[in-house]
Amino acid sequence: MNGKRNRLMAIVLLLMVSAVSQGRIKLVALPERAATVIRLDNPRATLIEEERVLTLQKGLNKVDFSWKAVSIDADSIRLRALDHPGNVTLLNVSYPPDEAALVWEISSDGDYAEKVRISYLLSNIDRLITYKAIADKAETAVDLKSYLVLRNFSGEDFDKARVLLDYGESFEQGIDHEETKQMLFLKASKVPITKIWTFDAAKLPWDPEQLENRNVGIPVSYRIVNNSQSGLGEFSLWGGKARIFQDDGHESTIFLGEDVTSMVPVGEKTELYIGDSRDIVVTQRKMEETQINKRYNNDKSPRLVLYDTDEIITAKIENFKDSPAVLTMIQHIPGQWDMKKCNMTYKKKDANTLEFEITLPARTENGPATKELTMHYNRRNLRPGVDIRPMPTPMPTMIEPIRR
Amino acid sequence: MKRIIFSLLIIVLMAGAGQAKVDLVTLPTRETVQLTIYNSADMTLVRESRALTLKDGENKLQFSWANTLIDPTSLEMLPKANEDKIDIADLTYPPRVQNLGLWNIESGVSGKVPVEISYLTSGLSWRAFYMGTLTEDEEMMRLQGYVRVTNNSGEDYENAQTRLIVGKVHILDEIAELARRQYPYGRPGEGIAPPMAPAPSTRGRMDDKRRSFALAEEAVMRSPKEITKEGLSEYFLYTIEGKETIPTGWSKRLLSFEADEVPVVNLYKYEEERYGASVVRFLSFKNDKEHELGETPIPGGMLKVYRNAGNEGHLSYTGQSSFKYIPVDEDVELNLGAVADVAVKSKIMDFETDNYEFDRRGNVSGWDEIRTFEIEVKNTRDIGVKVEIKRNFNTSYWKLTRSGDFGEFEQVDMDTVKFTLELKPRSAKKFEYVLRTYHDTRTDDWR
Repeated sequence: MNGKRNRLMAIVLLLMVSAVSQGRIKLVALPERAATVIRLDNPRATLIEEERVLTLQKGLNKVDFSWKAVSIDADSIRLRALDHPGNVTLLNVSYPPDEAALVWEISSDGDYAEKVRISYLLSNIDRLITYKAIADKAETAVDLKSYLVLRNFSGEDFDKARVLLDYGESFEQGIDHEETKQMLFLKASKVPITKIWTFDAAKLPWDPEQLENRNVGIPVSYRIVNNSQSGLGEFSLWGGKARIFQDDGHESTIFLGEDVTSMVPVGEKTELYIGDSRDIVVTQRKMEETQINKRYNNDKSPRLVLYDTDEIITAKIENFKDSPAVLTMIQHIPGQWDMKKCNMTYKKKDANTLEFEITLPARTENGPATKELTMHYNRRNLRPGVDIRPMPTPMPTMIEPIRR
Repeated sequence: MKRIIFSLLIIVLMAGAGQAKVDLVTLPTRETVQLTIYNSADMTLVRESRALTLKDGENKLQFSWANTLIDPTSLEMLPKANEDKIDIADLTYPPRVQNLGLWNIESGVSGKVPVEISYLTSGLSWRAFYMGTLTEDEEMMRLQGYVRVTNNSGEDYENAQTRLIVGKVHILDEIAELARRQYPYGRPGEGIAPPMAPAPSTRGRMDDKRRSFALAEEAVMRSPKEITKEGLSEYFLYTIEGKETIPTGWSKRLLSFEADEVPVVNLYKYEEERYGASVVRFLSFKNDKEHELGETPIPGGMLKVYRNAGNEGHLSYTGQSSFKYIPVDEDVELNLGAVADVAVKSKIMDFETDNYEFDRRGNVSGWDEIRTFEIEVKNTRDIGVKVEIKRNFNTSYWKLTRSGDFGEFEQVDMDTVKFTLELKPRSAKKFEYVLRTYHDTRTDDWR
């Protein structure tokens, strides 16, 4: 094979000539490998399919299949006769001791040059997907490119193989052991994006004044939907690292940031976190927290057993940017609660999560655009020392029952 | 030194025989190079243009980067002419060779083709720093902003257009770490390959470079360069006028902006829980037009503050402060540290308890505590100052029923108030306030 490594599959055909002869007869000409397929449609394992021609004789045939320095899952190896599937029968498979090999015992009703397909799971060969997106200056769309990266560390050289992904056309590609190949396989221009700023009160500091010389960055993401309106939507986008650039208006680009996307099925969206905005500043403070509706027990020294709280939270949002922005603000109120008064509308994402969509105009000559959220709420039925949550604590993982 | 090396292997497929003939062509050096340097991460985007001589058919372009800090997964090449006739089929990282990439290019044209090659590298960095010079009366400050660009990349970038990014970029992997991987994308089933190639050392090469760099420096110093600033996405892009040559191992300081008369407020803060018993001095101004600023945000950095002393241009050093990124129109407060020439004393002048409540056993179940505080503020300086005093009460059940000589205060949050005073040179102010706090069952009557 042109000096290339082919550690795999020294296939040796052995014929059981007679009961007396215990020896193995080695055939001089090893069957050449042809029509190799590398299937990369399952991210957990790579399936190799290859075709070879075995010279079978009428009666019992033994075929040795061995591999060295490559990692094949021995239980995954399959053999299929292609020319005479009704006349050629695989009787059994034996594994010799201390050896990466197996022996097929094949019964044949005639002399055939039988084309067979051998398939097996091969380790250390896989594919990655990476993305590169260039946003326009206005940040309304990206030109998206996706690259397929083939990595072969299996120990085996593939001179020419048909590579199959879970979608798209298969293509011919050779790849040597320890070689990595990067190919462009998807190009979509003007994919619409939505730019999102998110302040989550559970994740970010509330009062920047309390931090010594540290900015609180508001995370900024681009949302991309995998559908036909986006010029996509033909197949799921595999998960991978995405690097995002922006056209700088000077025939060049700047690098905006990178993130990893998980797999995006058709119709679903992904949000890529690119960096932090320091031109939107949120100052959140608790202005009041008192106990009300207190109930005591009948002890001679009564103990507080039940109460509500009365709480006021304010959040000042300042936009120092000279462009408008829509800030998604996430607030959390634990336990049971009632909103008494809130000066902005919100969506209840779940029992304890409130989402506000706050439209901020651009900064003007008079200074930053400022909005202030005020939430006045009561938390209900709190019991000192008792923590009752809407989401019950998860049960310990079920142990699979023992099958008998 | 040239560490990034290109060579072009032109493979012409002979008809019939299918045998390849390999020509090695030495490539012209880069024609232009642009550096976009980040400071929130050790990362620079390099974009260079070169002219390739391609043959009709299959061409192989070899790119090697031994001893540099290039992230090989970031390499990209784009033809800038005949884009539809030139197909960059793949980029191969060949086996058992490190720091080498091979582009397979199918060309439908032969002749010179301009291409643009871009990649991310580590080793170049920049930071901002500032010098402030106060007038003697400390009402004005001359503010000079500098950037310092450092090249430790292992590669000399000559005559590069240099751009700086102000902003916090989200990155997943350190570029330097990607650059040192044995295999650009790692191996299947493993996280990250252990570092293989050592980082380039820049030691011991300085002397050879010193002379040529000094010459380049001299040419630069004749007229300070302008830095243009523009906003892009959440970041700011600073473009240094003209071209820069910063050999590896060197760094260069450039003036970013200069404002001669920035009005400043001498702000003093007192907050026991945060600063202890000392008063902390701040210099306060705003990043806006009234303060001769406000064109762009000010990137975070260290500020050294001096004060003019006497008429002969002597200076005295006041202190230093690091400050954060300041958006346009935002207030700046620079912490210059604890001082003794402005003092705040807080005393409890009177203490009593009141409004006792009892349970059925006759035990105390609630009460009020009433404290009268006296705050004395002294300005021993010969200039006017502004003093902010914050008081924390550790409870939300409180009332300030009387506020003595000084009436103004502002509620900051549920248990904090702030008093603000202006003091003339060499003066003192005194005020009192009475704080009533509610305890246990008395909190029911708080409203």
